[in-house]
Amino acid sequence: MNNMSIAASQFTTLLPNDVLARSERMRLNPMRRRTNRMRGEHMSGKGGTSIEFSDYREYVAGDDIRYVDWNIFSRLNQPYLKLYAHEEEMHVAILLDSSASMEFEGKFDLARQVAASLGVMGLMNVERVSVYTCGQGRGRMPFLKPCSGRSSLKRFFQFLEQTEVGGSIPIEESIEQVLKQHSGKGIAIVISDFLTFGDVSRGFNLLHGAGLEIYGVQVLGPTELNPELAGDMRFVDAESNATLDVSSVGELLGLYHQHRQALEDYLGSQCRKRSGRFIATSSEIPLKELLFDRLLRNGWIR
Amino acid sequence: MSWLSSFIPSFFNPIGAALFALLIPIIIFYFLKLRRTRVEISSLALWQQVINDQRVNAPFQKFKRNFLLFLQLLLLCLVALAAMQPYWKGNAEQLTYLPILIDVSASMGSVDQEGDTRLDLAKAEILQIVDGLLPDQKLTLIAVGASARRLTEFTDNKQVLKNALAKLKVQDVPSNVVDGLRLAQALSRTQEIKTVRFYSDGNLPTKPNPATGKLMAEVDFDLPFSVDFFQIDSPGNNIGITALNARRATPEAWDVFLRVEGAGSGSTESKVILKANGELVGDEQIVLGPGEAQRIIFKVDAQSAQYLEATLEPVGHDALQVDNQTWLNLPKGRDVDVFCPGELTTFRHALEALEGVDVFPLTDGSENAVDYDLLISDKSGDLGKPAGVSVFIGVVPEDLKTLVRIEDESAEVVDWQRDAQILQHVQLKDVVISELPIKNEGVEDIHIEELGYKILAHGNRGPLILSQRDGIRIKYYLLFHTDRSTLPYRVGFPVLVANIMTEAMQRASLTELRAPSTGVLPAMELAKEKTYRVTLPDGKHERRSTNEKGLLKGISATMAGEYEIRDGGELVTKVGVGLLNATETRLETVETITFNELSVEAERERLLTDKPLWTWFAAFAFVILLVEWWYFQKKPTGIPD
Repeated sequence: MNNMSIAASQFTTLLPNDVLARSERMRLNPMRRRTNRMRGEHMSGKGGTSIEFSDYREYVAGDDIRYVDWNIFSRLNQPYLKLYAHEEEMHVAILLDSSASMEFEGKFDLARQVAASLGVMGLMNVERVSVYTCGQGRGRMPFLKPCSGRSSLKRFFQFLEQTEVGGSIPIEESIEQVLKQHSGKGIAIVISDFLTFGDVSRGFNLLHGAGLEIYGVQVLGPTELNPELAGDMRFVDAESNATLDVSSVGELLGLYHQHRQALEDYLGSQCRKRSGRFIATSSEIPLKELLFDRLLRNGWIR
Repeated sequence: MSWLSSFIPSFFNPIGAALFALLIPIIIFYFLKLRRTRVEISSLALWQQVINDQRVNAPFQKFKRNFLLFLQLLLLCLVALAAMQPYWKGNAEQLTYLPILIDVSASMGSVDQEGDTRLDLAKAEILQIVDGLLPDQKLTLIAVGASARRLTEFTDNKQVLKNALAKLKVQDVPSNVVDGLRLAQALSRTQEIKTVRFYSDGNLPTKPNPATGKLMAEVDFDLPFSVDFFQIDSPGNNIGITALNARRATPEAWDVFLRVEGAGSGSTESKVILKANGELVGDEQIVLGPGEAQRIIFKVDAQSAQYLEATLEPVGHDALQVDNQTWLNLPKGRDVDVFCPGELTTFRHALEALEGVDVFPLTDGSENAVDYDLLISDKSGDLGKPAGVSVFIGVVPEDLKTLVRIEDESAEVVDWQRDAQILQHVQLKDVVISELPIKNEGVEDIHIEELGYKILAHGNRGPLILSQRDGIRIKYYLLFHTDRSTLPYRVGFPVLVANIMTEAMQRASLTELRAPSTGVLPAMELAKEKTYRVTLPDGKHERRSTNEKGLLKGISATMAGEYEIRDGGELVTKVGVGLLNATETRLETVETITFNELSVEAERERLLTDKPLWTWFAAFAFVILLVEWWYFQKKPTGIPD
């Protein structure tokens, strides 16, 4: 079987058909439920105008008396509000780090696939999905405007397929740029290696403040997770071409692992502090395992 | 600061320090090689943190960074030091050529409670010297037993020296230190020898010091070098047989005398067993105090030949095993056959008075066809008659006739060897002799001695009595006729005849026998010019031939035990030799050896030889090499499993 036939039979080069099909049946599972001005299929925890009954609660001053259940009032002589589940659409902003550092060891490929799969889940559940390619340059960054529904799938995949790696803008700076363009609450899925000299806490604060729940996905290459180096080295930064001379690298690997783990822990805590989620993964992990095992078990999707 | 200098090693090969110059290229090459490998990574962010952290937490990082260089420099330093051949200077004088004499006499085989012989202890000390041998030093090893034997040439080859030491065995013989010193003296003619080292237990032939009464070993040797005498300590108790003699008590019986001696260090106890032809003759339990000796007498039948075997079975520790057994061959007892012509009435008269003597020819003129034990004749025609002892009266041997002539003048005895066997207790002074042996013009005593004669009595112008050995036989020549002297009328005459008879009986093994001791086997009279197979006590064989007179002699017997002489597998005779040396058995030691003009004290302090250190440096360098290899190859630390 040749590659042409495979390509021809696949809807997108990013996801195998089976992964795509399964992704279409799944949906994102945010920690909190948020409302939006526009209705969507996504269940909102906050009461809204819907025909689906949710609960009762006692009337408090200021409540719209139109929602008082008069039948209850007549029987109990106490006003109770009748609450309805509010189905409304949610924004899913995908921040895909496409800086040069993501070029290594298939990190960007996995990141694109994850973005594609999670984006499909959003689109198929009529969420407002937008994609921002971070790290490529200052100024207006290429992005996919919010779109929803199956009709947007092709555009969505096309955007991702055309995205290329390059640039040296750190992720925290890119988040700020994204927020200048994005509006709407929901989920911000940040897919990056988070190897930055800066601090992501400010960017995460801004995301949280904008009503976006932070889903952090750290993708690292195998040599970043477990470098097998020894001797004296001159490391060259792929983004900035800056160099760093390190002697007896083998001796420092222990320290490296401590720092890598500390970064992972820090990112995790920063996400969780803002009611978000975080996962770190190797670029070598099979996509299915990541999506339908780890993310599913961690409650990211359902 | 002398104490400090004792901690600084000396260097035998300081020129090896030139290797330190290699430090410079190593350092240069190291920094040239230090061009770092460029590795492109996604981000320096983590590594920058690592470096910042490491600079704070690892103050010795610079050292660690260059640890491999440090190891390489250390390795080179060690190799250079090893090449310089450092050594701790000992208290022994550094000598270029050093002969080491090793006593291998029987007493060196005495074992202590741990089972080590004294030769083992000596070997251990000599091995230390061999190990500490510096490249300009050469040793030669000389084993000193009954004679000296050079084991190695002067060599610095440690393996050769160690092999020679390993092969060195104790000989069951008394030591002859003079022989060893003579050998060293001979070596000193070709090499400059300042000192000879002598390892011995100090068990040497001794005699009491006339001044102190203590035993001292006196060696008649002019030392051309100094002797360092290293004494190996005595191991303890010993008991052994020091003599086994037999004397004819009657024509039917032998008295066998056995002397057992104990070492001076303590009491000893043993059972003495005597067997004749394998049959028990008698046994006795004896207890000896320190240094005591005991003589035990057994009666043995003389009617047949007997092969005696005396054995000790000591109770408790016995340092020396070799002196616990000895052997003696006793011939069948018989009368002595003497040939004496009827004309020599004086001799016949004296002989017939002796018991157990058959004098031929008999009155009817018959002669004994076999060998005579003693031949006394005044006829030159009897010179060819075989006899153990021959005495010719008034006969000048053919070969002497050119040197000595007899004239009819009176002669007198000027001097005679009073310790010669036949002249013991014989007074020759004032004997009137009417025949005068005269040395011819220009003839000296030495000319006579060169022909194999020994002058026993000197006349005023020439020799009067001569002896000549002929194999195991002996001939005596009285150059004057006794009938023409006053000798037959003197008291000394029957004494002379008795002495002659005693010697004849001894040579015929009919009167007194002594068990042979180690050294050389006693000469044996066998078939002429025939090859025999000699089996040694250790089972080895030698092939030896008798000479034209049928004598088998010169067989070295450095091991105590039984020697079998076989002819084509058939046992001809068996001779057992024992140590039979009181000095060796007593294990007495002397701390001083007295040489001519000087004495040598035993060294109590063990010699500290120069200790070469290069092996340690080389070994340490090897360890450093392994560490460097390990460090270079090891998995980087801190990687989680």
